[in-house]
Amino acid sequence: MEEWAAELQRGRSDAAWDLFVGRYRRLVFAAIRHYAQDYDDVMDVFARVCEALREDDLRRLRAWVEQPTHRARFSTWLVTVVRNLTVDWFRERDGRRRLPAVAEGLAPLRRRIFEHVFLDQRSHVETYESIRAATDPALSFREFLAELRATYLAVMKGRRGHVLRDLGGPPPPENDSDDPGTPDLGDTPKMIDDLLASLGPEDRVAVELYVVDGVPADQVARVLGLGNAKAVYNRVYRALAVLRERLERAGIRREDL
Amino acid sequence: MTDQQLSDLVRRGRARGVGPQVPTPDCLNDDMVAALAEGSLDAAARAEAFPHLASCEWCRAAVASVAIALADPAVAREVRAAEGPARRRFYRWSVPAAAAAAVILLLSWPPATDEPGPTHRAPTITAAPAPSPMSPVGAVAAAPVLRWAAVDGADRYRVTLFDGDGAVLYETELADTVAPVPGMVRLLPGRPYLWKVEARTDFDRWVGSKLVEFSIAGPRR
Repeated sequence: MEEWAAELQRGRSDAAWDLFVGRYRRLVFAAIRHYAQDYDDVMDVFARVCEALREDDLRRLRAWVEQPTHRARFSTWLVTVVRNLTVDWFRERDGRRRLPAVAEGLAPLRRRIFEHVFLDQRSHVETYESIRAATDPALSFREFLAELRATYLAVMKGRRGHVLRDLGGPPPPENDSDDPGTPDLGDTPKMIDDLLASLGPEDRVAVELYVVDGVPADQVARVLGLGNAKAVYNRVYRALAVLRERLERAGIRREDL
Repeated sequence: MTDQQLSDLVRRGRARGVGPQVPTPDCLNDDMVAALAEGSLDAAARAEAFPHLASCEWCRAAVASVAIALADPAVAREVRAAEGPARRRFYRWSVPAAAAAAVILLLSWPPATDEPGPTHRAPTITAAPAPSPMSPVGAVAAAPVLRWAAVDGADRYRVTLFDGDGAVLYETELADTVAPVPGMVRLLPGRPYLWKVEARTDFDRWVGSKLVEFSIAGPRR
């Protein structure tokens, strides 16, 4: 048992906290810096993480210690907790409608896109419809997508790239030129959802993580319990072959989409 | 349709379908998310978790995010440092070595002045701006950390916490601009505390902030 956990079990919360901070402070900082590279943000989030872990007599740490079995290593659990607190911190701060510095530098349309997608967490289609209804009735979907991609590029290159990606969801792919006005496009999200739901859970997780979320193949292999990245590629491309066959059986061709 | 075209279609459908992500009562807890991300679940546990993971954007986003973080070299390095067995071996020999180093340091430390009690070091005269204490200041609900604004060019900070009578409760040096208040330091409600921070801007050149007062809100004990 780790020393800080032993102290916690002995009822010595203060000593436990000191030992915990001494051992894991650098990991906490590294995890925060993965999501938020801006120096002031990192320090603000670190303060929030300390506050959250200390509150209610180290309630979160105590819950971990008192759990009879653990599925993950403590360090990975800690990275997960720090990730959640970091994302929550940015959601709360951005939810107060204070635009971060990266958004203030954007052109007006991209700033509106940023507010809808990253602050209000609307879908891309909803964002397009809102902007068109409110301010830009002549905005075509193709133009919107170009601005949307540029907005993603701008914010994800910034110091808060990882956390903003967590807030805004996956960016639109390149060469996306469909117009939501055409009948098929409006159903695309549901069609994709139905297609993916027709896969087995492991195949679906493989496709979602590797294709949609862009998780590196090595990491996907760990999640799936596969031996290596090559096994992930094989699994994903077999799953895509199944999806392609189902699309063709439904009479849907690429030209239709 | 090629694999690339189909992949783009899937991403397109997912991107447009993304709405507010909210957790549900069925969502995986942090331990499960962590175990999935690091690949420590056995086959049976994975089989149990995957049906939810496959259909839940919230959990999938969490697993993806943590998996990507674990692959970050800086994070991986600190995980190894915190968890590796080499750390325990290091600890066994480093404790006596550290104790010896502390003795040497104490023997070579400049002699104390004749002033009783703790002394306040006056900041070295320098053109660099003083660090600015940010929190805690004034009456606060809690003070788990001491935080201050960074000083350009400073590579190290020394922060000192005093009680209302000027006795030093805690002092430390660090490179960051946030110092957790140690658990052994009891900050009692209603009592005044003071703190200050000094920034090292050059070899043996320090610039210090003003003393800042704060207290923990609540009835005095």
